[in-house]
Amino acid sequence: MSGTYFDRRHEHTRPLSRFLIFGLAVIVGLSALTARLFYLQVLNGAQFTALSDGNRTVVQAIPSSRGLIYDRSGAALVINVPTFAVKIRPADLPEERRDEVVSRLSALIGTPIPDINAAIDGNPGSRFDLVRVAQDVPKGTANLIAEAGFDLPGVEVVVEARRQYAEGPLLSQILGYTGPVTAEQIEELKKTGYLPDDLIGKTGLEAYYEKDLRGMYGEETVERDAAGRKLQVLDTVAEAQAGNSLRLTIDTKEQKLAQQALQWGMKTAGVKRGVVIVMNPQTGEVLAMVSLPTYDNNSFARGISAQDFAGLLANPDKPLLNHAVSAHYPPGSTYKLVAGTGALADKKITPWTRVQTKPYLSIGPTKFWEWNHRGWGGCDLDCGFGHSSDTYFFQLAAMLGIDRLGYWAKEYGFGAPTGIDLPGEVSGIVPTNEWKLQALGDEIFPGEVYQAGIGQGYDVVTPLQLINAYAALANGGRLYEPRLVHDVVGPDGQVIKPFEPTLIRQLDVKPSVLKEMREAARSTVLLRHTYNLVDLPIVIAGKSGTAEFGTRDSKGRLPFDSWFIGFTPKDPTKKASDPTGAKALAKGDSELVVLAFAYDSRTVGNMATEIVKYYMQLHYGIKNDYRNFDLLERGNFYQSN
Amino acid sequence: MTDWAARSIGAAWRAFDLQMAAYAALLVAIGLVMAYSNSAEQGRSILEGGTTFVRGLMWTGIALIVYIVATSFDYKWLKTFSWPLYALQLGLLVTTLAIGHGVGGSARWVSIGPFDFQFSELAKILMIIILANYLGARQGRLGSLSSIIGACLLVVPPWILVMIQPDLGTSLVLLAILGGMLFMSGASLRWLGVLVGGALASFPLIWTYILRDYQKQRIVSFLDPASDMQGAGYQLFQSQIAVGSGGWFGKGLTNGTQNQLNFLPVQESDFVAAIYLEELGFLGAMLLLVLFGALLWRILVSGWRSRDPFGMMFASGLASMILFQLVVNLGMVIGIMPITGIPLPFISHGGASLISLAVGLGILQSVNIRQTRAEW
Repeated sequence: MSGTYFDRRHEHTRPLSRFLIFGLAVIVGLSALTARLFYLQVLNGAQFTALSDGNRTVVQAIPSSRGLIYDRSGAALVINVPTFAVKIRPADLPEERRDEVVSRLSALIGTPIPDINAAIDGNPGSRFDLVRVAQDVPKGTANLIAEAGFDLPGVEVVVEARRQYAEGPLLSQILGYTGPVTAEQIEELKKTGYLPDDLIGKTGLEAYYEKDLRGMYGEETVERDAAGRKLQVLDTVAEAQAGNSLRLTIDTKEQKLAQQALQWGMKTAGVKRGVVIVMNPQTGEVLAMVSLPTYDNNSFARGISAQDFAGLLANPDKPLLNHAVSAHYPPGSTYKLVAGTGALADKKITPWTRVQTKPYLSIGPTKFWEWNHRGWGGCDLDCGFGHSSDTYFFQLAAMLGIDRLGYWAKEYGFGAPTGIDLPGEVSGIVPTNEWKLQALGDEIFPGEVYQAGIGQGYDVVTPLQLINAYAALANGGRLYEPRLVHDVVGPDGQVIKPFEPTLIRQLDVKPSVLKEMREAARSTVLLRHTYNLVDLPIVIAGKSGTAEFGTRDSKGRLPFDSWFIGFTPKDPTKKASDPTGAKALAKGDSELVVLAFAYDSRTVGNMATEIVKYYMQLHYGIKNDYRNFDLLERGNFYQSN
Repeated sequence: MTDWAARSIGAAWRAFDLQMAAYAALLVAIGLVMAYSNSAEQGRSILEGGTTFVRGLMWTGIALIVYIVATSFDYKWLKTFSWPLYALQLGLLVTTLAIGHGVGGSARWVSIGPFDFQFSELAKILMIIILANYLGARQGRLGSLSSIIGACLLVVPPWILVMIQPDLGTSLVLLAILGGMLFMSGASLRWLGVLVGGALASFPLIWTYILRDYQKQRIVSFLDPASDMQGAGYQLFQSQIAVGSGGWFGKGLTNGTQNQLNFLPVQESDFVAAIYLEELGFLGAMLLLVLFGALLWRILVSGWRSRDPFGMMFASGLASMILFQLVVNLGMVIGIMPITGIPLPFISHGGASLISLAVGLGILQSVNIRQTRAEW
């Protein structure tokens, strides 16, 4: 600049000071900018470069393919099918546009607006994670959403695999279903690679074998833009490993026959809850397991609505519960197996010891009635067990005492889970003095010992425990762990864990004792206690039970459940050389034991026997129909049978 | 050609401030380079019609013509047309409010054919002209309060019209122009102090009654970036990441990953500086600041040399506008200023801004070259 004075050439004031101050302002401004730039770019350049890179690259999980489930013969029961899921990344959804986007999305996919908002807000992960909003969206809708990118910021369509259960309700109780991980679970699970919107097995085999089925997620480093869109894969850190597959012991054909028999029984008698189990006593393999009412696990795979789920939960007969393992009931007369075995093993009686059966026994003023109010006079084991005499077994129970009776019950596996590969198994109760002291503060009363001997009172068992005990009887003394999965197979088809029967224990009795009990079980059939079951062209042995529970009605009657367990020798054909079938049963080579349970049956006859009879007819292809439909009519049954 | 004419043209040429033109041209070139980088990253072919680069070239061409016209134009005519120009300014602003459109229901852009025009940019230059006329005509009375009040009254109507749009950034620029020109006019510092004090005192009123929510939000998230990591806080944060990651030398042209990957939300206009700083680093930043400093210096020199009070006032106004916009826009990008919608002169893509700068610099050149015609 030139001129620092009032220059004559110019006619106006030129305040130099102002110019200088302005110039100073320019210098100050530029200096402030320079200083800040120096701070950002030079001093902290490296840190910002890292942040800039961090924006770009992200380590992403590569989902693995979930293992499949096959039945005994190799038919696929559960497969994965591709499906479109709609997800939202909350961080990419601008707050001021949220309402607009959510309502547009709701109109497109049909999910109610509050559900979408709940999913976004209830997200357990960070705002940069994807939240599932709808699954199994039709292809056309998926395309619409994908194309509407700018109108629906933060919304992504993702191809996912979902489960498809080939047989639906037939095997729901066994297979279970998968569902989203909960907020509580994800805390723990993210350490093992679970993502906040992952699916995890919730019930059944899907849950029990989650680790095997899931496989291992892989990892890749991905370059992405601010919208979270994957631009390119930079590096695959680890490949995904597909999950292992399961080959079950379940025979789909037998499962269908079992369900057919149970459904017939329940429909004819108007009964709401029932169980049928079919096992191979030689190995513990479960060939069929039916629990009704049930549900279709495909509705969970497709994303069940909150309403439908509430409906299932509200149903008093608990369709979501596997009654075979997760519920316990009084066993009734089927429990006489325990007192019988115990009394023989402890040498309290021999098979020929005559025990006097009576119309009732008394303890003080209380009468403990025989079920037919008469008795059969002097009874040996076959008579007592074959007629299911209550007074016979009252006395056997008294001979053993409650604690010894409890010992034998536990020997048979009662009071503890069987260890089957299903979640949610309950233990049941075996009453002993110790148990009652802890639970109720008192010792067992003598009347309760009687009750325990005939499977009433405090004892409760699961259907699986009961069939497992009779399996041990049928095979000559080996109590196995029931199994649903035969082989665990790797993704390449190699068997990883081949099947091995797992022995819980060898029953601590002489084989002759069990042979005698098997004969007693044959007596049940021979003495026509089970009516025309003996007329079937096969050798069948077993035990029925009618277990009372609950409160008396206006006529003083108690509701009751019906049980029947039956088993056949390996060669079940009747032979002239073996008229009673005793020789066949003596071998202990049975490969088939079947249990039926009907809850609150209130039929004239034991409907569980009819169900097993029907199953046997179907299984062995017996042409004639021996079913007694009239036994399934409503009516009062004997007090105990 | 007569001797006299040759001498006149020679004198005129000597008085033409080549440096000012050169610095401005370099800044425009940088703006075009940034447009190129922006277009390259869009993934389309650079010379395709409609890309930022091609549009930038077009506006540069137009601005060059405007510049030449403004330089040739005798600036004294501006005094004659003072009131019509004022009417024009108000007219443009009213038109913007009437048929303009913009983000979120605002009215900032007027569509003329395929182009969107931001008239408030022109309004700024017109404001400078009008104030320069006014203050230039009040020689001898500049110390009095009435001059200050008069200037304020001239600014109030356009200011209100701009605030209605709403365009907080432009309204602040108008205030900066007013303040700078009043200061440089030699107005009484005492009264200026009162004016500034009054403005500060009325800030709470402004906050409550005048500022919109998103404008308040921008100020709040400037002061506390963590409070809004989704909206304005996010933009500020991403911008600083971009700038900081430039380091000494920058990542290289077209290599700005922040912008390439869409991390800067409004990358075509206000945050261009962030991309520049990311791609060309601290040295690039220094180049930019040196050019701006040099340009401002030449503008002030023109003002000092002007034998016409209009010239000095006009230079002051232009310098105030450019300095304010530079500091606020660059400051916003590097995190020492709140987010405003103020473009960086020459660099931010936008035809109106470039045209109005061309008008301004052209008028200043016109003042320069006519200082030598002592006899006219």
